[in-house]
Amino acid sequence: MSMITILACAALLIGVFVYVFYPQSKTEEQTQKTRLEFLRERKDTIYENLRDLNFEYRAGKYPEEDYLAQRAGMENEAAQILAEIEFLETAVHAA
Amino acid sequence: MAAFGSFAILFGLVLCVYNFVVGAFALRQIAVHPHVSLGPERLAESARRAGIGSFIALSAAAFALVYCAFTNDFSVSYILHHSNRALPWPYKFAALWSGQEGSLLLWAWLLGAYGFVLRVRHKVDVKLTAYASTILAAVQIFFTLLIVFPAPPFALTQGAVPADGFGLNPLLQYPEMVIHPPMLYLGYVGFSVPFAFALGALMMRYPGEKWIHITRRWTMVTWLFLTCGIFLGMHWAYAVLGWGGYWGWDPVENASLMPWLTGTAFLHSVMMQEKRGMMKSWNVWLIFTTFMLSILGTLLTRSGLVSSVHAFAESSIGTWFWGFLLIVLSVCLFTYILQRDHLQSEHKLESLVSRESSFLFNNLVLLAACFTVLWGTLFPIISEYVEGSKVTVGPPFYNRVAVPIGVFLLFLTGIGPILAWRSTSFKSVKRNFLWPSIAGVTTAVVLMAAGMRPWQDVGTLYSLMTFSLAALVITAVGSEFWRGARVIQRHTGKNMLLSLVQLTRRNTRRYGGHLVHIGVVIVFVGLAGSAFNQSNEQEMGFHDSMTIGQYRLVCQSYTQDSNANYDSEYELLNVYKNGKFLTQMAPERRFYHASQQTETMVANHSTLQRDLYVVYEGRNQDTNQPIIKVILNPLVAWIWIGVVVMAFGTLLALVPNMSAEQATKPRKPAEEELALPAGVGD
Repeated sequence: MSMITILACAALLIGVFVYVFYPQSKTEEQTQKTRLEFLRERKDTIYENLRDLNFEYRAGKYPEEDYLAQRAGMENEAAQILAEIEFLETAVHAA
Repeated sequence: MAAFGSFAILFGLVLCVYNFVVGAFALRQIAVHPHVSLGPERLAESARRAGIGSFIALSAAAFALVYCAFTNDFSVSYILHHSNRALPWPYKFAALWSGQEGSLLLWAWLLGAYGFVLRVRHKVDVKLTAYASTILAAVQIFFTLLIVFPAPPFALTQGAVPADGFGLNPLLQYPEMVIHPPMLYLGYVGFSVPFAFALGALMMRYPGEKWIHITRRWTMVTWLFLTCGIFLGMHWAYAVLGWGGYWGWDPVENASLMPWLTGTAFLHSVMMQEKRGMMKSWNVWLIFTTFMLSILGTLLTRSGLVSSVHAFAESSIGTWFWGFLLIVLSVCLFTYILQRDHLQSEHKLESLVSRESSFLFNNLVLLAACFTVLWGTLFPIISEYVEGSKVTVGPPFYNRVAVPIGVFLLFLTGIGPILAWRSTSFKSVKRNFLWPSIAGVTTAVVLMAAGMRPWQDVGTLYSLMTFSLAALVITAVGSEFWRGARVIQRHTGKNMLLSLVQLTRRNTRRYGGHLVHIGVVIVFVGLAGSAFNQSNEQEMGFHDSMTIGQYRLVCQSYTQDSNANYDSEYELLNVYKNGKFLTQMAPERRFYHASQQTETMVANHSTLQRDLYVVYEGRNQDTNQPIIKVILNPLVAWIWIGVVVMAFGTLLALVPNMSAEQATKPRKPAEEELALPAGVGD
């Protein structure tokens, strides 16, 4: 094995070793996603669905009765989620 | 350099093992003692960095192998067997994946590259990424083990080192071969990332669907690579193999198609999970299956398990792959059984006439196609195991099943976007289907009036159905763009073109998806042309001529040539269309010195109507005159155009929405209050 090969292997070894084990001043914390965060995500999704539905209705894709039925369903779902968010936020503030 | 390459691979393996073991230990510690000091998180960070380090080590190994190819280092057995001095330099790159050891190194390196991006972008969700990184490290260990033990790329040549190598397989000495395998591998390997996220999310009982949002771009990019890889392979087969077709249901072609089918199903069905919280178990199993089929694809390509023109390597690594597949299946099954209560659907299917049901049918059809292909591909192995003799199923088996499935899929492509979520009323169906149906029926009537006779043979029937459905889908998708743009136009006063641009930017995923569907339709139109192929074959000496369709080919000369890499024979043909000179073509046959193999170089004159495909078949032993085969392939160019449209649509879908960009701006507190459902209209 030539000296250049040994030097190349050593450079790779030391370089990566230093990178892996160099002490970090700040480490990213691994947090568990909460139910509240999950509900906020769901709320955004339902709002996005509503936005799409409204747009498609304006584009003339659905008759009014279909649109109203779908919108009512989504609004009910959103209302349930908003209620749970409010409840959890109150609990968090109280804690 | 060989010693450095071997060291880099070994070091990469050590780093992958560290990433996996320490990463898993840290995750366990954090899960069991969530409120202890930072110790486990520091360990997890070092595991993440080891994963990044493994990419650096494997990059060094890949560089070392390419360096050996460029410096003609035939002391490395792999270079001796897959390169030679006269090999043009772009093909020296291709030597990296032309043999088993090199291609497995490429697999491991690409996996490292995907892992590198994933680990660098860990802040998107630190904990979920830590799980995904650890799972990915386990997959990396498997592939790095392969290149350490059964298939080392830096094994040394035994005995005296020859002055020149044995050369690259001539079939691989074609420009597309420099990009086709890496594209395909980027597709295969890429599915590891959504797989790792899905398994990680299930293991940690990740609440919600954000993991899908995180992996959406990964999945789309991977799907794009696989799509491009498959179609580049088709084009290569069309241009190089000289049989006049582009898809022969070869086991290795099938191996690439199977993960594509399940991956496509996954891309569609995750939308149901994102939008409605449905089909969670289904989606998890779809991505598990896609990953396992990617591994199976690599196994079929690299193990020589099935005979194929594309299987450029044969070996005994099959046992390793089967073992790995078994472990993956066991882990997936175990995790699923343990956590299946986490995958409860939030909604049920409300109606059979809804977008959800169209996605469900789309999934079932894609899976049926996948199962057909899997059954046909593995049938020789199964028949040998059961009956002791290999029974191979050919194109007629696949065509009998896949063609009607494809036509039905085309139909679903048209109706899916028209249907509403939850349920669609009859009134809505009538409103949205009227014009697409008129377009479909009109196309069928016009084509029959123009001379198509669908009752004469089944090929013509399927072609007519395809053209008719193509018109239906284009009209349906076109009306989506038209209606949406009109809303924008009413609101903004912009012209139709600008409104279309704004509409697309507003929801790039949806309208990019529509463009992909248009691309699929164009591909289907190209495929449907195969029902009208014509061919002719004859000896063509000096001034001999052949007539096929509107074309007449006249031999001007035939001669031989030679260079350092190969000897060649070719014929110069003048081509006339309807009596007028069109072009000159030169079909060729090469004999490569190093590998002692011959290869056909097809001459192809391609137009939007048809391809004039000319093959130099060799010489008649008695008369010493060249034999020329000519095939007229209608509409083939549309296949390649369709793929470009599909690629463009996918790239468009990757662009962030305009509304999403606006949403990232800080909102005023009052707007939170105003963000009520009824008001979110535009």
